[in-house]
Amino acid sequence: MRSLHLTFEPRLAISRAMTITVPVISLVLGFLSAAPLFLAVGVNPVLAYRQVLGVFLNVDGLTESLTRGIPLLLASVGLCLPFKMNFWNIGAEGQLFMGAFAATGMVFLLPESSAFVLLGSMMIAGFIFGGIWGLIPAYLKARLEVNEVLSTLMLNFVAILWVDYLVYGPWRDPKGFGFPLTPMFPPNARLPWIPGTRIHAGLVIGIICAGLVYVFLARTKWGYELNVTGESRLAAKYAGIDYLKLTLLVMFISGGLAGLAGMGLVSGIVLRLRHGISPGYGFSAIIIAWLARLNPLAAVPVSILFGGLLVAGDALQIGLGLAFATSLVFQALILLFVVGGEMLTRYKLALTWE
Amino acid sequence: MTPPSKELLVQMKGIVKRFPGVVANDHVNFELRAGEVHGLLGENGAGKTTLMNVLYGILRPEEGEIYIQGKKVDIGSPREAIGLGIGMVHQHFKLVEPHTVLENILLGLKEPAFILNVKDAANKVLEISKRYELPVDPKARIWQLSMGERQRVEILKALYRGASILVLDEPTSVLTPPETRELFRFIAQMAAEGRSVVFITHKLDEVMAVSDRVTVLRAGRNVDTLQRKQLDKTKLASMMVGREVLFTLRRKPVIAGETVLDMRQVTVMGDKGFPAVKNVTLAIREGEIFGVAGIAGNGQRELTEAITGMRPIVSGEVRLCGNDIGRESISHRIEHGIAYIPEDRVGVAAPRGLTVAQDLVLRKYREKPFSNRVLLNPHEIGDNAERLIKDFNIMVSGKDALARTLSGGNLQKLILARELSGSPKLIVAAYPTRGLDVGATEYVRGLLLRQREAGAALLMVSEDLDEILSLSDRIAVMYGGEIVGTFSASEANIEQIGLMMGGSLRRP
Repeated sequence: MRSLHLTFEPRLAISRAMTITVPVISLVLGFLSAAPLFLAVGVNPVLAYRQVLGVFLNVDGLTESLTRGIPLLLASVGLCLPFKMNFWNIGAEGQLFMGAFAATGMVFLLPESSAFVLLGSMMIAGFIFGGIWGLIPAYLKARLEVNEVLSTLMLNFVAILWVDYLVYGPWRDPKGFGFPLTPMFPPNARLPWIPGTRIHAGLVIGIICAGLVYVFLARTKWGYELNVTGESRLAAKYAGIDYLKLTLLVMFISGGLAGLAGMGLVSGIVLRLRHGISPGYGFSAIIIAWLARLNPLAAVPVSILFGGLLVAGDALQIGLGLAFATSLVFQALILLFVVGGEMLTRYKLALTWE
Repeated sequence: MTPPSKELLVQMKGIVKRFPGVVANDHVNFELRAGEVHGLLGENGAGKTTLMNVLYGILRPEEGEIYIQGKKVDIGSPREAIGLGIGMVHQHFKLVEPHTVLENILLGLKEPAFILNVKDAANKVLEISKRYELPVDPKARIWQLSMGERQRVEILKALYRGASILVLDEPTSVLTPPETRELFRFIAQMAAEGRSVVFITHKLDEVMAVSDRVTVLRAGRNVDTLQRKQLDKTKLASMMVGREVLFTLRRKPVIAGETVLDMRQVTVMGDKGFPAVKNVTLAIREGEIFGVAGIAGNGQRELTEAITGMRPIVSGEVRLCGNDIGRESISHRIEHGIAYIPEDRVGVAAPRGLTVAQDLVLRKYREKPFSNRVLLNPHEIGDNAERLIKDFNIMVSGKDALARTLSGGNLQKLILARELSGSPKLIVAAYPTRGLDVGATEYVRGLLLRQREAGAALLMVSEDLDEILSLSDRIAVMYGGEIVGTFSASEANIEQIGLMMGGSLRRP
């Protein structure tokens, strides 16, 4: 009995031309696939495309893409580490919230200190609290075999709701007309920024971190251990690698970098802690880490392009009056095609009749 | 002996099967007559299993023709092969472990279409098993059965489907000597009934014991097909390998030195939560090979894992050169000179996604000069790889090639190169030559003997009794997690060892 089989076969060699043409074709197809969506909501697709491409063609759009890319970069660089060892950290969002919380706490603790001291302590606190939020699932997995997908995912909600508790309760700005946000930070708690834009020092920190993580992966003993563990946990055990220690180290750094992303949000952009400080940067960072093939250097351009996609969604809402949900569907379509194209770069489809 | 007058059952002509990068079958011809036992001999990777998978409809050849009883056929699936009377017992059994013997035998059958008469089916199974003296309990669950019993289920499965041509792929690799003799008796019975058996193996003694004819394959091509009376061990070996092979290993006399490994009343838990090693006491000295014989699954793996630290011990003592290491970490044991050649090569000993250079420092990357406290030293790691590739003659395109590009024999060489360099005190080797061809086996055994002469203590687990007998200074037999007997090399007796492996004899 014969039937049609569709199988994925890994490509033995990936040509340079493919790595360029496939993403371009994917993007074009993604755009085209969104045409019916725009038509359905009564918008000329050509106008919509012009809006979206405009983001990448004017200075404001580009600087805003960079700005949105900062938290994505920090979080995704952090995710490259646990993903390398097949530890599925879905908790960057929560780790980011804990970082934002801790950074804000430092503003309350040290309001009078110099900008240098205050910003430094905000970063350290943000890193440590994000890191601790990563340590919990790491310990649970390494000691008790608790599935990290569940524990990291659920700890997101704990962190998000903890921040909500603070901004709706004890930390709420008494002069904030009842909105769920803390008082505005003093100027000494604001990261340096490029005047005229919202780009802040987090960009530099993010790029430095990308470089450091790259070296960590490529050159250190722990990078080697991550590689082996990602190949096979049994092989790692055979090599004498301490899974508990390695997981704790990696998740502390990963959570810490997400925590830094949270610190950058409160200290560089919003200048206070509020409800919904991140619209899901920690989740988008998962996709970015994979699109960058877990290479922290590649995460830099991917994060900025992803930031541009977010800005494009805003542009559609503001420029054409599209609903939030419509712009989300558009973003999702583009991503679907890019990820699909990525898949087809690595694998070829084989249709066989047998 | 097969007179040529016997009916030609199967003819395979000019079979070509390619896999990415290799031609597994390069215009291979094969024929099988009724009532014939046909040995298919070749090294690993010679294309024996590929050829039979083509016959069984698992693989489709790119070129070539297959005739069954003179009629040209196109076998698209195992189901079609079964329809033509072909049955195949794979090396790795395809049984559903939580299910019963009967369920496994009936699985995948088209009949009955709707209502299954379990009783009739069970009776039919019992009838076949009685006729061929292949006792099984149809209600037993597969996981409860020994490997030999599982093989019987696979054979019954094929017979139940009416197989008149039975392909056995490396059938003796899981059997004890008495079980092997049983299997050979069964094969002879099949042939006497006019049915045919294809016996795939790389073991020369076995192929000579049962075959009417032998076809030798090398590197995907036919070498020759020999009649029974032409069979000669040395000739077959050189046909298989393509050069002369030495069968006698030179074991130089070595005077055993200090005690290296000293285990006292060690008990270890298995994966299922039962003790897999029970109260084992043993000692191995410098310059001594301690062979552990037994059928797989009798605690050998757990024993090696307890020594190397992969598995915690429940009670007892493990001493290395006098120091208690029973509760030390794996890395501590590596640093103190325990080398370990584990059973699972691709999943444990040499991860396939790493480069050859990375795999060659797998258990040594912590040590100088490969790294300091933080950074790796890529130059030293590269130099190490180049040196070991040369010294151990590992066939690979370069030190940065992925381990997955290595053949089985070369992967084992890589593992040995790493584990044996740096003069280990104790070498724990599990099935060091399993699946290797004659040439590689000879090489690996030579390496182990050289370590012995250099004063290392070796614990070697193997299912190959010849290997154990030819290498070991002392031999222990494990059954049910216990050491049921120990012999010195001079007093070892293959009959007694065989009985002990099967659990029907023990001596203190």
